[in-house]
Amino acid sequence: MELFTPEFGLVFWMFVAFACLYFILAKYAWPFIIKSMEERADLIDKGVAYAQEAKSHLDNAKAEADKVVAEARQQQAEILRDAAKLRNQIIEDAKGEAAAEAKKVSDAAMLSIEQSRKESEKQLRKEVSEIALQIAEKVLRKNVSDDQAQRDLVDKYLSEVETKN
Amino acid sequence: MKKAITAIIALVILALMALGYYSTAQHRAHSQDSELNPKETIFEHLGDAYGWEVPFNHSARIPLPIIVKGQDGWHCFMSNRVTGGDTYEGYRISTSEANHGKVVQVLADGSEYRPLDLSITKNVAGIFIAAIVVVLLVMTLKRWYARNRLKAPRRGTGMLELIVDFVYGDTIRPILGKHAAKYAPYLLTVFFFILTMNLLGLIVIFPGGANLTGNIAVTMVLAVLTFLITTFSGTREYWKEIFWPEVPMMLKCPVPMMQIIEVLGMFTKPLALMIRLFANMMSGHMVVLVLMLLIFIFTNLFGVAVGGGTAIFSVAFTLFMLLLDTLVSLIQAYVFTILSTIFISMAIVEPHHEAK
Repeated sequence: MELFTPEFGLVFWMFVAFACLYFILAKYAWPFIIKSMEERADLIDKGVAYAQEAKSHLDNAKAEADKVVAEARQQQAEILRDAAKLRNQIIEDAKGEAAAEAKKVSDAAMLSIEQSRKESEKQLRKEVSEIALQIAEKVLRKNVSDDQAQRDLVDKYLSEVETKN
Repeated sequence: MKKAITAIIALVILALMALGYYSTAQHRAHSQDSELNPKETIFEHLGDAYGWEVPFNHSARIPLPIIVKGQDGWHCFMSNRVTGGDTYEGYRISTSEANHGKVVQVLADGSEYRPLDLSITKNVAGIFIAAIVVVLLVMTLKRWYARNRLKAPRRGTGMLELIVDFVYGDTIRPILGKHAAKYAPYLLTVFFFILTMNLLGLIVIFPGGANLTGNIAVTMVLAVLTFLITTFSGTREYWKEIFWPEVPMMLKCPVPMMQIIEVLGMFTKPLALMIRLFANMMSGHMVVLVLMLLIFIFTNLFGVAVGGGTAIFSVAFTLFMLLLDTLVSLIQAYVFTILSTIFISMAIVEPHHEAK
């Protein structure tokens, strides 16, 4: 059977063709192709790993940001509370001071009132005594030294006035 | 647009069929032997030839160079000088039983002498065309990587890369491990060469149509190469397992039974590679040819009506067979490659008995 007996010419050329093909491809193509494919596979693997890392970083960052925000809130509340306390304190202080001042002022006023009252009293007494003396003079002019009893009466009245005041 | 293209293609096919029918009818009218010889037709198509057939023409051939070394030295001439049955420089294509279809030298006493025949026959030309196609394909992929580093190839180049990755990444590397880089060029070349030859064989017109991997010479060269690589990269452990395997003493000492089996195994493995690829591809071609010939056989026997009916079934089955052959082309190329990989991996085995 011709089909099952290899022809020498065909074997020879087949070997030549395959050898040429092998040397061309093995020298110029396959190593380069395989290297490039593996490099790309590495790159993709690295990219995936990087992305995962970045994602975990992002998740952490969110948690951290939340923590910072919470802390800030707390601090804010504290500051507000302190401020309120301070305000109250200031108001209280101001109130006390004002009260003290007012008391001082009113004391001084009282003092001066008292003084002026005393003064006016003195004045009044002087005037009253003068008026009395004048009255007495008029009375005297009418009844000069004739009526001891009247004189005593005036004096008595004067004393009464004095004690009343 | 799509419809227009489909219509044009259909018209072209119809026109080609009409042309084919016309030329066949003319050929019938002119030639003397209208007798159909299925066996001869089949073997003519499966075998080699000194010219390349042209579609729709029974006598014209694309001439190919014939290179022979007869008793009077080297001769080189184009095949169209002898394919018509002529004798040129003392050479002709034999019609005798022993050298049927081969170029022979006619000696002075009228006997035939078979010269050393290194002609570029149809199959040889087909092999070189396949090799060029492989180089072009692989270089396309290489150029892509050289130009677009680290970018994924698209379309056709992407498909090539897919195949390379399938063969290298999923087969060669897992099996050979750290030795993969050393043997990968050979295995990938084998895979792409076989695949291209298989697929080119399925295309019926030039530059396809040569039954390359269905020719035992082609598969023999590939199998012998795998055998040589396996044998020359064999480690001490590999040879030890052949000549002194770890089996009970009585199996290997007085009568070297295991050794005989192992040594036979060395040769049966590449032999199986050779026969498997050859038989698969040849049978595919043969089935298609037989299905086509059925039309003519039935036409001869029962007339045109039955022949026409057979044509419908034959064409349907042929289409199915060709689709199947396309699948088989891929599978056989892959099987050859994976088995070669496994044989090599068995040869570069490291000692593993210490672990026990």
